[in-house]
Amino acid sequence: MSDRSTGGRWLQQPLARRQILTGAVAFGSVGVLSACSGPAAFEVNTDAPPSSGGTLRVGLTGGSTADTLDAHIPVNTGDSARVINLFEPLLERDGDYQIAYRLAESLEPNDDGTVWTLRLRENLKFSDGSDLTAEDVVFTFERVTDPEDPKTNASNLADFQSATAVDERTVEIQLTAPSAVLDDALAQYSMGVVPRDFDPANPIGAGPFRLKDFSAGMSTTLERNPHYWDSEPYLDEVQILNFNDTDALINALLSSQVDCVGQIPLALVEVLESDERMAVLNSETGMWLPFTMRVDVEPFNDVRVRQAFRLVVDRQQMIDQVLSGYGQLGNDMYSPFDPSYPDLDQRTQNIQQAKNLLAQAGHPDGITVELVTAPIQSGVVEAAQVFAQQASEAGITVNIRRVDTTTFFGDQYLQWSFAQSFWYTRNFIPQSRNCATAEAPFNETAWVNQEFTDLLDQAQAELDEARRTELIHQAQQMLYDDGGYIIWGFANQVDAYQRYVLGFQENSTGLPLNAYGFRSVWLGEVS
Amino acid sequence: MIAKLILKRLLVSVFILLAVSVVVFAATLLLPGDPARAILGQQATEERIAALQAELNLDRSPVERYFLWLGGLFVGNFGTSSATGGPVTDLLGERITASLVLMLCAALIAVPVGLAIGIFSALHRGKRADQAVTWGTLTLAALPEFVIGIALVTLFATSVFRILPAVTMSPPGQQVWEIPTQLILPTLTLALVVIPYIIRMMRATMAEVMDSGFVEMARLKGVPERRVILRHAVPHAIGPVAQVVAIQLAWLAGGVVVVEYLFRYPGIGQALIDAVTYRDVQVVQAISIIIAAVYVVVNLLADIVGILANPKLRSAS
Amino acid sequence: MSTSDLKPSADAGPPPSGTTDAEPKESATRPAHLLKRVWAQGQGKVGIVLTVFIVALALAGPLLAPVLTGYSPTEFAGRPFQPEGIFGTDNLGRSVASRFLAGGLLLLLYSVLATVLGLVVGCVVGMIAGYAGGKTDSVLMRLNDIVLAFPQLVLALLAIVVLGPEGWVLVTVIGLTHAPRIARVARAATLGVVNEDYVRAAQMYAVPRSRILAREIFPNITGPLSVEAGLRLTYSIGAIASLSFLGLGMQPPTADWGLMINENRIALSIQPWGVLLPVIAIAVLTVGTNLLADAIARATASTTVESS
Repeated sequence: MSDRSTGGRWLQQPLARRQILTGAVAFGSVGVLSACSGPAAFEVNTDAPPSSGGTLRVGLTGGSTADTLDAHIPVNTGDSARVINLFEPLLERDGDYQIAYRLAESLEPNDDGTVWTLRLRENLKFSDGSDLTAEDVVFTFERVTDPEDPKTNASNLADFQSATAVDERTVEIQLTAPSAVLDDALAQYSMGVVPRDFDPANPIGAGPFRLKDFSAGMSTTLERNPHYWDSEPYLDEVQILNFNDTDALINALLSSQVDCVGQIPLALVEVLESDERMAVLNSETGMWLPFTMRVDVEPFNDVRVRQAFRLVVDRQQMIDQVLSGYGQLGNDMYSPFDPSYPDLDQRTQNIQQAKNLLAQAGHPDGITVELVTAPIQSGVVEAAQVFAQQASEAGITVNIRRVDTTTFFGDQYLQWSFAQSFWYTRNFIPQSRNCATAEAPFNETAWVNQEFTDLLDQAQAELDEARRTELIHQAQQMLYDDGGYIIWGFANQVDAYQRYVLGFQENSTGLPLNAYGFRSVWLGEVS
Repeated sequence: MIAKLILKRLLVSVFILLAVSVVVFAATLLLPGDPARAILGQQATEERIAALQAELNLDRSPVERYFLWLGGLFVGNFGTSSATGGPVTDLLGERITASLVLMLCAALIAVPVGLAIGIFSALHRGKRADQAVTWGTLTLAALPEFVIGIALVTLFATSVFRILPAVTMSPPGQQVWEIPTQLILPTLTLALVVIPYIIRMMRATMAEVMDSGFVEMARLKGVPERRVILRHAVPHAIGPVAQVVAIQLAWLAGGVVVVEYLFRYPGIGQALIDAVTYRDVQVVQAISIIIAAVYVVVNLLADIVGILANPKLRSAS
Repeated sequence: MSTSDLKPSADAGPPPSGTTDAEPKESATRPAHLLKRVWAQGQGKVGIVLTVFIVALALAGPLLAPVLTGYSPTEFAGRPFQPEGIFGTDNLGRSVASRFLAGGLLLLLYSVLATVLGLVVGCVVGMIAGYAGGKTDSVLMRLNDIVLAFPQLVLALLAIVVLGPEGWVLVTVIGLTHAPRIARVARAATLGVVNEDYVRAAQMYAVPRSRILAREIFPNITGPLSVEAGLRLTYSIGAIASLSFLGLGMQPPTADWGLMINENRIALSIQPWGVLLPVIAIAVLTVGTNLLADAIARATASTTVESS
């Protein structure tokens, strides 16, 4: 099992305005943080065994009247939190970005990777007590890949042909082309198993919680699912509250109106850490905020210009200024959690070499470019400013053109010659299929290389891990030398919670609050 | 005479509102891009875009569209938000109430306080207290509302005293006024912006009245000073001041924009800024029209008050 | 139509000591003379001192910034929101002091340009309306009323949605929203002098209209117009700073006071200087110009009294 992807939900259905709103709200609406000095510090007994009971109040930004309970089309943070806790997938990405079995107990390919056999655990039940069988899994596959109405994960299942129930617990999945990465496609959280008569208005699933109350754009109450297959959740209830901006969210946490909040601005991490009542969950992720150079237009059609631009970036400074230090170094390569992430020479700032390359490319007196930016994600507009400053040292004049998110993703999207983007954690092959081939829906750099695509195809069909890694490394080298992305770093995901909330762990998928893993959370005793 | 004047004034207001609606509508026509595509997103199929275009009447001529849109306004249909894909009315319903609550609170504080200080200042003309009031109003009147707001936040929420919330929380399902403390700072900011104008007008009018013949006459008759002020002077000053007060209240309709943004108050002002940021044209149009309408109507009322209070016109009829 | 403004404007409230009534009958407001009268008042003195102080800061600041702080306005001095340097770092780790020094120039420039635009357009419209009278007058004034039916900020936001937050858009839209307000004052002042003998005389000698407006009328209405100029400058500063504060005016990485407040207010409680310095500067500037406008109003009013 090697190629993995998850998290990048926005790019599967990326341009629904609601999503853009959600992404941007997290960025655009930071205001005054009032430092409420709280009550006297208290002690939490962290050694005691987990105790059951209680309600966890979760604050999230985003959410609107279009919020959904559908298992297969989560859009914003609230949708994701609901879907993950109401529905159980066959496989999942755990906190270390490894594939873990959930409803499935095994998943094996045949010799050429065209037919996969999936085996379910015993005695699985939905939250209404009815049995969960192979027929439900087949229905789920068909619902997600419905050609009339493809769901979020359909793009990862492009090779899916059909699924058949062999017996109560066995499903056979036929593919149109060999694939070694089906497990990755099944480990998406938008792939929860639903019963044959699924109705989003009455969302029956097999997740750790079931729905008690739901008011779109406002709040959701979940209660413990007594039929959950795995160890029962500790919490009686989970209340998900939607806030319309980050300030209100953080103030709600500081005034104890909520117990935990997802995704806080990185500049505020230190402030929250210094509050004795608060704990911060700081997770390394594979989320990247690249600069995108279109390799088919002036001046970026000259690879020397692209290399020069990559060399003017002081990557550590980018992380310090844009992410307040909460990030990992990037090396113009995506998918840091892929086991085949390469060990290439780390690019560092080299102004002299950048100048030389520009001179060779016919720009001895420097060059002026327009960088199109928009608040599409926290940190993007800031990164543009830092880049402009760094590039000026090499005689590159960067004129920042800030547009609104709607314009950014409007008619000109994918046409900007120099712009920015953001992507969540994914593995190399699925990521490349999204952004670096001729068929890729979001090829922002217009970088297309037949040899690269062939290597991807071969790797995807290659069941031998070592051989596959070798093929991927060849492809990565091409991207590293020739591609149009400047990938300077990977942003951490930082959440905050009250100290009496126990059981949260770091999670590298990029989803907040341990990928909304409320099933392993309990409320500690305060003394 | 008065009825004719008021009728004329009414017609002018209707004409202005129509002109405003044309201006607001024309803004959409100038915009590049296709609203249907904006609502559906980049990946939408041509069929779906065409269907939505028909639904939104985008396939008709601009003039037809204008009248359809205008007709919609009268039945409360403000169009479809390109950000949420839902009706604009859904977005604005609760926010309008929230904004009205804020404006009402500000008016309830600003009007009595402004009038009281104005009277006080007029009665102590030339003395130190009056000079202080004059300086204070000149200073306050100069400050942009966000400056006043940030000063209050620094003073009462973040740096000096930490006793009031700096932003509005509004947990889902709860109305903003259910946590009254968070209304204090935005209300105070709005009140401080309009108070100086009420004070200055009240002071000037009151001073004029106090110098007038009938006040002098009342005094000469031996009416106690307190009674002179309350029974004779103040009622005569209220007429012209009412007009200024009304204008200040109209100003609140636009003034809430910055104040709501500053305090993250979930009203129409905040919605307007969000809509501008996301270029959600239908929402910008709806809110512009609403604010302009409030503005025109309150100004109309102010003028009617002015006409009714004008002694020359009263005696003429 | 009653007035309407971004701020409740002076023509909504009582005119500062009879602004709109001040209709100088003769050109008695020579600049030097006026300045002396303004300076003679306490408010005028304070207004001039405050205004000159901030204007000097805004003009010299961009040159002084790197020298005094050691950092250019876009250079990084440390991590975001750290207390390094005199006033710490901003949301990107740049020197707050340096950005503060460099942040007033554009605001001042745009405000002055917007005011000048408003004065020119308003003056022309108001003088023509007042001088021509009749149909021209009512058409122009009705057009005026339409612009006045929008709160200034809402109209500015509408323009920004359509045209984007460009510098010329800000200047144009703020300037044009001032114009109707200035036009009313110019019209009223024109009506006050249009029947004067020297105007009549010029008409008898068949002097062209444009010449009468420029030579005979304009010099005689500069009093009320200079008061308007001061007031409109105050509101221009407020309006442009407000738009930048909303994130819809100046765009990053420009160093600008309004934008600085927008960028740094998230950390008001931990690193307040990034917000407080620009807030104080804007406050001092607007208070200064407002006091000045008020003093000019008193000065021109007393001139009128003297000369009439």
